[in-house]
Amino acid sequence: MGALALYLRQVGAAIRVSFADRANFWLQLGGMTVNNGFVLLLWFMFFAGFRSVGGWRLADVALMIGILALSVGLAGVFAGGYRDMAAVILRDDVDALLTQPRAILPRLLARESIASAWGDVIVGAILLARFAALRWSDLPVLLFVLCGSLTVFLATGVLFASLAFWVRGARSFARDVVDFVILLSSYPGSIYSGAMKVVVYTFVPAGFVVLVPVAVLREHGLPGLLTMAGAAVGYAALAGTVFMAGLRRYRG
Amino acid sequence: MSPIIAVRNLRKRYRYAKAGGLLSSVFPDYQYIDALDALSFDIAAGERVAIIGPNGAGKSTTLKILTGILEPGEGTASVLGLTPWRERLALAHRIGVVFGQRSQLWGDLPVRESFALLRHIYTQPAAVFAARLDRLVQRFALEALLQQPVNRLSLGQRMRCELVASLLHAPSVLFLDEPTIGLDITAKAAMRDLITQQAHDDGQTVLLTSHDTRDIELVCERVIVINAGRIVVDQSTSELRRRFLGRKLVTIRSVAPVVTLGLPGVTLRSSEPHQTLFEVDTGTLHVERLIEAALAIGGIEDITIEDPPMEEVIRDIYASAGSG
Amino acid sequence: MTSTRPLAAVERALAVLRVGADATLAGRAVLFGRGVFYLLVIALLATFWDLVAAERLPGTLSSLLPAGGLAVYVGVTEWITLSVPAIHLRLEDDIRSGAIEAHLLRPASYPVLRISESCGGLLVRQGMLGAIGVVALLLSGHAVPSAAMWICLVVLGVLGGFVGILLFALVGMSAFWLRRTIPIYLCVQKMSFLLGGLFAPLTLYPAWLRGISEASPFAAQLYWPAVIVVSPGAATVLRAFTYEVLWIAILSTLLAMIWRVGLQRMLRQGI
Repeated sequence: MGALALYLRQVGAAIRVSFADRANFWLQLGGMTVNNGFVLLLWFMFFAGFRSVGGWRLADVALMIGILALSVGLAGVFAGGYRDMAAVILRDDVDALLTQPRAILPRLLARESIASAWGDVIVGAILLARFAALRWSDLPVLLFVLCGSLTVFLATGVLFASLAFWVRGARSFARDVVDFVILLSSYPGSIYSGAMKVVVYTFVPAGFVVLVPVAVLREHGLPGLLTMAGAAVGYAALAGTVFMAGLRRYRG
Repeated sequence: MSPIIAVRNLRKRYRYAKAGGLLSSVFPDYQYIDALDALSFDIAAGERVAIIGPNGAGKSTTLKILTGILEPGEGTASVLGLTPWRERLALAHRIGVVFGQRSQLWGDLPVRESFALLRHIYTQPAAVFAARLDRLVQRFALEALLQQPVNRLSLGQRMRCELVASLLHAPSVLFLDEPTIGLDITAKAAMRDLITQQAHDDGQTVLLTSHDTRDIELVCERVIVINAGRIVVDQSTSELRRRFLGRKLVTIRSVAPVVTLGLPGVTLRSSEPHQTLFEVDTGTLHVERLIEAALAIGGIEDITIEDPPMEEVIRDIYASAGSG
Repeated sequence: MTSTRPLAAVERALAVLRVGADATLAGRAVLFGRGVFYLLVIALLATFWDLVAAERLPGTLSSLLPAGGLAVYVGVTEWITLSVPAIHLRLEDDIRSGAIEAHLLRPASYPVLRISESCGGLLVRQGMLGAIGVVALLLSGHAVPSAAMWICLVVLGVLGGFVGILLFALVGMSAFWLRRTIPIYLCVQKMSFLLGGLFAPLTLYPAWLRGISEASPFAAQLYWPAVIVVSPGAATVLRAFTYEVLWIAILSTLLAMIWRVGLQRMLRQGI
């Protein structure tokens, strides 16, 4: 079976598992949707009172949060294993996968689908469709930057989870870094300057998860698209390299 | 003299919702299981009693009701003159409980600190507690373990600590739910010796649940057999041993396709190529005689000696009770 | 019935509080991550509000922003928010796994012991994050509160943290019925962000929402300890203290009632 087909089959199984307890699934989805709703309400209230922050308006923030929610949501639904990957490595659960004739990383990513992530997907889609001031003509660029954003987000999760091959404390650290990415992706880019700006375009790449996609969608242009593509390829390559190095160490 | 534990017509029905679709989350389809069915028995002070039975027989349910963490549907129970589920906190000062599958210690703390915390929980005077702790630590050989975090201990070590934790406040009654579950043979033997010696020295009443027949043979003087929530047999251990536990199952793996032994008290149970299962009546023949005979034949690869499965013992007991 | 010796009960609570503090101190990696997160978030929010204040767009609420900015305000609200331990997860885990049975066998109140343990964690986190916040404030160039205000901040902040523990203990109690508390937790958390004025003082809210928010337990957790830095004065401090004490009493009573109902349910139905 081809690698992609196998991955989709595994993800399908993980999604079915997340559906198995129906009451819990709807609770998780509903809870996350309400959770996101509160966040949006805060932003609506802010812009009702202040109108702008560093030139960013409500539609720009809606676009940013929509991209973030969709990226985090899609990652959670289709590659939810990223969230606890460090714990899996630390528990030596990778052993069972090593005996099987398939690539490890896709197996680790596909082993879980996070029920609450559907809430993020729904809210993200609504924000982009209704509040982000996008046109239908933006759709191809939107899909392109979403792929890039999702790739950078997942790659960051994999990269820091892979530290568990070397360091026991990596579990909480990896989850912290993912939380930092989400945190830094939740504020308008106008507030970043100096050292913080360097951080959001390197160690905690919120810049590539939301800021570059927003800039590309507002300004359009080849440089932005190339930056997005380069960042996605770069972070994916880095994450893959570190993971494989860690796996070699684990096996050795 | 009034019994220290008195149980009359205890019944307990559990309700659970069948798994189903979304609609069943809102309108569940409930099913019912009768875990206890008119259970009645008394236990006198100082007795050591085992409640045994197969999985799902009602052993743990009985123990939970008597320790106050479960209410019966019907019936009454009294432990030390208190109704457990109504006077749970008062009863807690006077009973000790060990659940084999649950820990009452703080996993991240060194054992000594868990014990110190229990002093506060049970409001024990410091001097009395210290003396008691020293005595128990010596008896249970915990000196080397006191500084280790509980979650770093082996199962056998942890169970010894759990038992000490249940004794620190000098309870009158000790409830032990599967205290030897998961332990290896050596650890089980050590645990049984400690329980017996401790109960004997401090005059505690012991109520123990298990589905390991050696627990009842070596620790308890009386056995209550429960099956499907009802008492099937209630008699002394010696009587039960005589009637139902005088058998061993011996499996012999051999080079030859089959092993034949013409010994009195030995019955062929089953035979597969190179594996023969015998049942030995230990009242007629010692197991070691069978092993000597098998080894004399030669070509023996492996010998396994086991008690009959509890389900078989219960079936025999039930059949006997039905025909008696 | 639980031991009626008050001193013994206090000793017991303090012993368990110490266990919670030690356990929190032992989790250095988690503490470190939390400290970095706190630094990041207060840096972000301080910059955010400084930028908003600098824009001063006409016809907006910019004129209501305090002269010194909101850096200290959000520093206090985030300090309290990030210090409250996840007691709801502890309760949920005990209830779902059945580990609560071991606690029920003891002659002590389970909720009191768990809350005492969480208070230990709260104090350690507040100490650590508080130290980080003070250093960050001193290095940031923002105005530093007076000594009297520091004392008020510490007292009100600890009480606010305790309100947070009670709130999330109530969330944890929902595990008797819901098995998974995360949806309730997320809603309560976001309500505390919104009605508690996590990101901005309630003085900037529309009048209709401001009244509801100020009277809510979420404001007792976050807003009332923090508002004394933007509206200093004895009257504000007294009002803050009153709200906190009131909500501690109400939430404690609610918790005791829900615990009794949940316990009865568990005793009847088993784990």
